[in-house]
Amino acid sequence: MQKQITEANLRLLIDSLLLKGQRVVGPRQSGAMVLYEPLSSASDLVFNEQPRRSAKEAFFPICEDLLEYRKNGQQIDLEDIEPSRFPETVLIGVRPCDAAAMPVLDSVFSWDYKDQFYLERRSRTIIIGLACTSADDACFCTAVGLSPGDSKGSDLMFSHLVNGGFLVESHTDKGALFLESWKDRFTEPDGSKTLPLAQPEATPFDLKKIKGWLDDHFEDPAWDSIATRCVGCGACAFVCPACHCFDIIDEGTEKSGKRRKFWDACGFSKFTNHASGHNPRDLQPKRYRNRIMHKFKYYDDKFGQNLCTGCGRCIRVCPVGIDIAGILEEIEKK
Amino acid sequence: MTQPIDISGYTRITESIRTEAKRILSDGTVSAVIGYTHVRRKGSTQPILITNPDDSEKLFFSEGCLNNLVVYLTKSKKDVPKTGKIGIVVKGCDLKAVVGLLGESQLKREDIYLIGVPCNGVLGSLINPATELNTKTIAAKCRECTDRMPVGADFVPPVELAAMPQMEATYSDKIAKLEAMTPSERWEFWKEQFSKCIKCYACRQVCAFCYCEQCVCDRNRPQMVEQSPRPSGNFSWHLVRAIHLAGRCVGCAECERVCPMDIPLNLLNRKMAMEMKELFNSEAGFEVREKGPLNSYDEHDDESFIR
Repeated sequence: MQKQITEANLRLLIDSLLLKGQRVVGPRQSGAMVLYEPLSSASDLVFNEQPRRSAKEAFFPICEDLLEYRKNGQQIDLEDIEPSRFPETVLIGVRPCDAAAMPVLDSVFSWDYKDQFYLERRSRTIIIGLACTSADDACFCTAVGLSPGDSKGSDLMFSHLVNGGFLVESHTDKGALFLESWKDRFTEPDGSKTLPLAQPEATPFDLKKIKGWLDDHFEDPAWDSIATRCVGCGACAFVCPACHCFDIIDEGTEKSGKRRKFWDACGFSKFTNHASGHNPRDLQPKRYRNRIMHKFKYYDDKFGQNLCTGCGRCIRVCPVGIDIAGILEEIEKK
Repeated sequence: MTQPIDISGYTRITESIRTEAKRILSDGTVSAVIGYTHVRRKGSTQPILITNPDDSEKLFFSEGCLNNLVVYLTKSKKDVPKTGKIGIVVKGCDLKAVVGLLGESQLKREDIYLIGVPCNGVLGSLINPATELNTKTIAAKCRECTDRMPVGADFVPPVELAAMPQMEATYSDKIAKLEAMTPSERWEFWKEQFSKCIKCYACRQVCAFCYCEQCVCDRNRPQMVEQSPRPSGNFSWHLVRAIHLAGRCVGCAECERVCPMDIPLNLLNRKMAMEMKELFNSEAGFEVREKGPLNSYDEHDDESFIR
């Protein structure tokens, strides 16, 4: 289903949602950065900049409490955090490279263990994607099978119209229902053209060929030349829309405290450190190898998908200029 | 007004680094050279370790060579071979990190061969690497740099530095503003800054002085600092780091540059450096000191703060 909305009407719609007490999250200025954060008014929403962190945190926050404990004499009282209390959320202005990661993450969070913290947020959120009209030289969505206008993962997809406003396309029942409940704000498409999509300078990778190489090259000198420079921080994983490793830790005192879940990264030396002190990934190239293997082989083996949407964030933030697109290019040539 | 910065010397520096790297690798002076190389994106760079003299052609120097490569010489970077003498490309600010590590017995002078770069400054960030170097895009640390010529390097490309335009010193300005605040305003300022932290530890991992094999903030038996990325743990982490770096930080500003959340970490470190200068007349330089100001006791140390 296609509709159209003016920018003024979109802002009115957002303000109406906020007035109703609805949580609306979207790209907004946060200090000098743009981040996906709850909007306090429609005027907060910015369209023209890719947020520094991905939209995954709407479902998989940087840090969240899982339970609370209190010690009463010999007894320990546990209190669960109830995921059903998570608020209904409209996630708007989502980049196609961020939205596309959500169906990919659904596979792992609803696999052998159903992660209610992720899944409850997911079911209570509508994703409104926004097609990209600009890209920089770190963007490479087109190289991993996506595009700046891709609707993968979006319930509704917005595209900028040449004369302002947006063309709106619904891709799920959730999206159609949203259009129906706010039908006064939308009009029928008048045939206006949409702005040309961004054109990242990336040519499609042969991901099958890349995976083929990965299948046979767990041990290879290339890992050293690629990743000896890796300093072992978590910047790439933390800005990535698809990286989803987390740690769980109890924090507090002997008397009371909380069990918390927070982002972890395979670049950290303690990521695979055993209680014995042995670390099977003792050097940085082995850790970086895991990053590539997980994204383009293991996840594919398990779920038939890749853990990379070509958003380019890891390339922009890597302290030592590691360029995942360049590495894939290198592997593809082997 | 934005003014261009003359970096025409970088081409000759590149040639000179290549020739020297080739020479020291060929004649066995060093077993490896750590320098900068190009990456796919125009203007971007990355560190490279070469062992083959023919790979010297991969080395270069440009306004995009931001990294302080000295971090690779520390014991925390186990992947970089520490056998034999290693050649390394250093800017003046980076060289001060070598000096600091020599003083802390983390390096031996005879194990390193320093290729010092006469430097007219580098970019503040590589997020958009294809950027021209000018008085606006230059790194904040370069605005007030007094160490453009590395002192005490084994080899310095014979290149005269072009004169630099006058630039405002941004750190001193910002520190003055912070100092003018009330303690509670300052607290709020840093609280807001640290609340942005996502605990990716990029600041720690690029720091030449964060070479502990087990960081106190990674300890969980027992936990010394809250590890979860929440305001209280974030605050503890950044304070621990600021205190550990006081009197040691050389101001390479790598922590600030790599922070994906734009926390002005070097501002904190510069403020600590000012305190060290004021209290102990101590500052990072090109002269190796056996003991840092916080590792030594002197009868004349200021004790006026003890009340």
